[in-house]
Amino acid sequence: MNRQLVRAILICVCVILTCSVLGASASPSKTLHILTALDPNEAKIYIEAFENATGIKVVWVRMSAGECLARLKAEARNPQFSVWLGGPSPEYIAATKEGLLEPYQPKGSEFILPEHRDKDWHWVGFYFGAIGFASNTEWFEKNNLEYPTSWQDLLKPEFKGQISFAYPYTSGTAYTILATIVQLMGEEEGFKYMVELDKNVHHYNTSGSACVTQAGLGEVAIGIAFSHDVMAKGISKGYPVVLTMPSEGTGYEIGAMALVKGGPEPEEGKAFIDWCMTTECQDLFQEWFRIPLNPDAKVAEGAVTRDEVNLIDYDDVWAGENQERLLEKWRDLTNK
Amino acid sequence: MQEPLVLLVILLIAASLFLFVIYPLYSVLKTSLIQRDGSIGLGVYSGLLAKSYNRRPLINSIRLGAIVAVLGTIIGFIFAYCTTRVNLPFTGFFRAVAMFPMISPPFIMSLATIMLFGNNGFITKKILRGMVNLKIYGLGGLVLVETLAYFPTAYLVLSGVLQAIDPSIEDAACDLGASWWQVFRTVTLPLAIPGIASSLLLIFIESLADFGNPIILSGDYQVLAVQAYLRITGLYDLPGGAALAVILLVPSLVAFFVQKYWVSRKSYVTVTGKPSGQQISRSEPWVKTAALIVCLVLTGIILLFYGTVLVGSFMTLWGVSYDFTLANYRHVFVVGGEHIKDTLFLSTVSTPITGILAMIIAFIVVRKEFFGRQALELTSMLTFAVPGTVVGIGYILAFNQPPIMLTGTAAIIIILFVFRNMPTGIQSGIAALQQIDPSIEEASCDLGADSSTTFRNITLPLISPAFFSGLVFSFVRCVTAISAIIFVVSGKWKLITVAVLGSVENSDLAQAAAFCVVIIAMVLSAIGIINLLVYQPWKRGGQKRLKEPTISGGAESWIGTA
Repeated sequence: MNRQLVRAILICVCVILTCSVLGASASPSKTLHILTALDPNEAKIYIEAFENATGIKVVWVRMSAGECLARLKAEARNPQFSVWLGGPSPEYIAATKEGLLEPYQPKGSEFILPEHRDKDWHWVGFYFGAIGFASNTEWFEKNNLEYPTSWQDLLKPEFKGQISFAYPYTSGTAYTILATIVQLMGEEEGFKYMVELDKNVHHYNTSGSACVTQAGLGEVAIGIAFSHDVMAKGISKGYPVVLTMPSEGTGYEIGAMALVKGGPEPEEGKAFIDWCMTTECQDLFQEWFRIPLNPDAKVAEGAVTRDEVNLIDYDDVWAGENQERLLEKWRDLTNK
Repeated sequence: MQEPLVLLVILLIAASLFLFVIYPLYSVLKTSLIQRDGSIGLGVYSGLLAKSYNRRPLINSIRLGAIVAVLGTIIGFIFAYCTTRVNLPFTGFFRAVAMFPMISPPFIMSLATIMLFGNNGFITKKILRGMVNLKIYGLGGLVLVETLAYFPTAYLVLSGVLQAIDPSIEDAACDLGASWWQVFRTVTLPLAIPGIASSLLLIFIESLADFGNPIILSGDYQVLAVQAYLRITGLYDLPGGAALAVILLVPSLVAFFVQKYWVSRKSYVTVTGKPSGQQISRSEPWVKTAALIVCLVLTGIILLFYGTVLVGSFMTLWGVSYDFTLANYRHVFVVGGEHIKDTLFLSTVSTPITGILAMIIAFIVVRKEFFGRQALELTSMLTFAVPGTVVGIGYILAFNQPPIMLTGTAAIIIILFVFRNMPTGIQSGIAALQQIDPSIEEASCDLGADSSTTFRNITLPLISPAFFSGLVFSFVRCVTAISAIIFVVSGKWKLITVAVLGSVENSDLAQAAAFCVVIIAMVLSAIGIINLLVYQPWKRGGQKRLKEPTISGGAESWIGTA
């Protein structure tokens, strides 16, 4: 009996020890935790440059924009990340409303126009991207058609079943498309257009830029996505696609970043945000064809800049506030 | 209770099962009942089900599951019959290839399908020259992919059942002058019906929970597992996602209970552990040829798919440029290096824990009498019936707040692995234990050994085949899981299947293919290592091995959802 008891106690002790060892999430305080919605290959560029410039080590996770917001919401009581990097502003607007972000005005941010940031600096923009079309050159040649250069072009019967983009409710890119149309044409006409467009759509993706590669592979003829994705994931990779922009005017995204409220490393987080405003960082955007907001930074060759394209007066604050309502209406009308 | 140690173990296990199986499910249920205004009620459900675009995925999932279950069972049965009842050469080879889908990550089939049959696929473009437009995104593609992925389940169950049917019954029928068809129709088939029913239900559960394939191939054919995930990650709607998860859970649980408490009780095969004669196998030339063709075609298709993925991993840009390159592997080992390391570490830690825990639970469930034994067994099997998506949501809801905060740690991933992979080992262990005569253990007790000594020196060696196959399957499932773990990965702990999904979402098919090849390599080496370096020396270590349990089919079929 004695041996039994001793063994029982030993097991208890082992269990308790194991639990405490596993439960302890030890992380050195100088490691910055970043949650990013940028493509992992891209995020690597900026984060590694930051690590080299400042010596602060970074641990980061990549998820799509919607997933990031969902994760921050789920972790609100015990945030695991200090900085939220990338992804279009509507998610950041929603996060501000939920009280998930810490207001912070970064050093060197004088060039940020008021429409590129939250009015109380809960989030700040750091890149810019406009919606365009990716068209598969081989398909267009074979069918002897012109590339689409306007939103109305996309409704042509020749393109039936040849278009793809993402579900507006899973992708920031696709929601920007929806919000652009609604702001361009007004809500009633805008939704009529979306329903018409839906008839030409072959399928929807969950990820916003997937349609670029699909256009490149010939799975569809036209993909609707951000111009930097068309360039980075389509043209510069060697896929046979061309980028065209709609003549009526196109919407754009402000890529944002923010300090997470209650995050584990606020000081290091602020250092990162400050660094992102510098030309040192914004010059790096060339690799991914993103447009920097810092006017002194270099812009990639072939990238579409603000002045080259017909931009509508895109109000992303309005887009963020009406997101839920517009998404529900879209789902009801298209039944997708 | 005579032995405090046993009591302690039972209590510990019960506590951990409650914490890590029941509590997350309860969290999902609780969250789904939080209505918009904060009150508790069924408002979320009624709101969701009112919209046809929410009802549709449910119907789609069930329809897909039913079709795949039927097709998978038919193919599995034909294949099982061919390899057990027909005198074919290379049966070992056929059997091995049929098991491939079980040990590989779920997206491999989808990846291969796109590479071969997509608009720009190799077969579509080069062989059919773009004449036929195969619609692979949607129900058709999903049926193809899931049938191939899940027919091994049916194959395992049915080959086990076919092998266990006492040959003397079929011999008797032949002696009475029945033709082959008559024997098949009146003897073999009816005896195999419980096995067929089991396969149908098991594959149905697997298809319902499938996440990796639909997220790639579903197109407009939305399924519930993906919708629940998207509702949380795309619409940030935790109650809605939880509600969809609960809705997904219902058919799965129903199928599970039907299989466990009705079908498996009606086993018609003889369980003596001693076959009473030689298995009759057909040697007529036409049967042999037909069977050979069937097996060759099936294994050919599987090898084609895997071959495509292997070849594709060396391509620069699938569909555009077929130049040979190692860039994808460079990406896998450089960018994905952390993923590989973390996955290996977490899998290696959780696999032995899973194996031992499964054996302990099997032992106390079969050999010990105590209050709540049935409940304990049921709970430990529950994570098999629960789709991965539901488990994942449950874990992030349950463990992201006090009293237990585990998000972001290795612990949550290890615990998830252990409790999700246990059922396979437990079922194997139970099946093995039931084959062993308790008198051996009783003799050990009579000689003065306590429970733990008996377990260690007598029971464990006797059920070692079940233990080691449990280890293998546990490791495999750790490395290929996706639907649950996608919710619990963090900055510190990255898993390789999530990297594959990332590559696929970017349509980086060649890169995804490279990841898949690496995963398969990891799995094969693990099987090799466990088999050669651990199991063989153990066997040779002078243990007198009892005849291996003959009903092995049912146990290994609990591979389940990814």
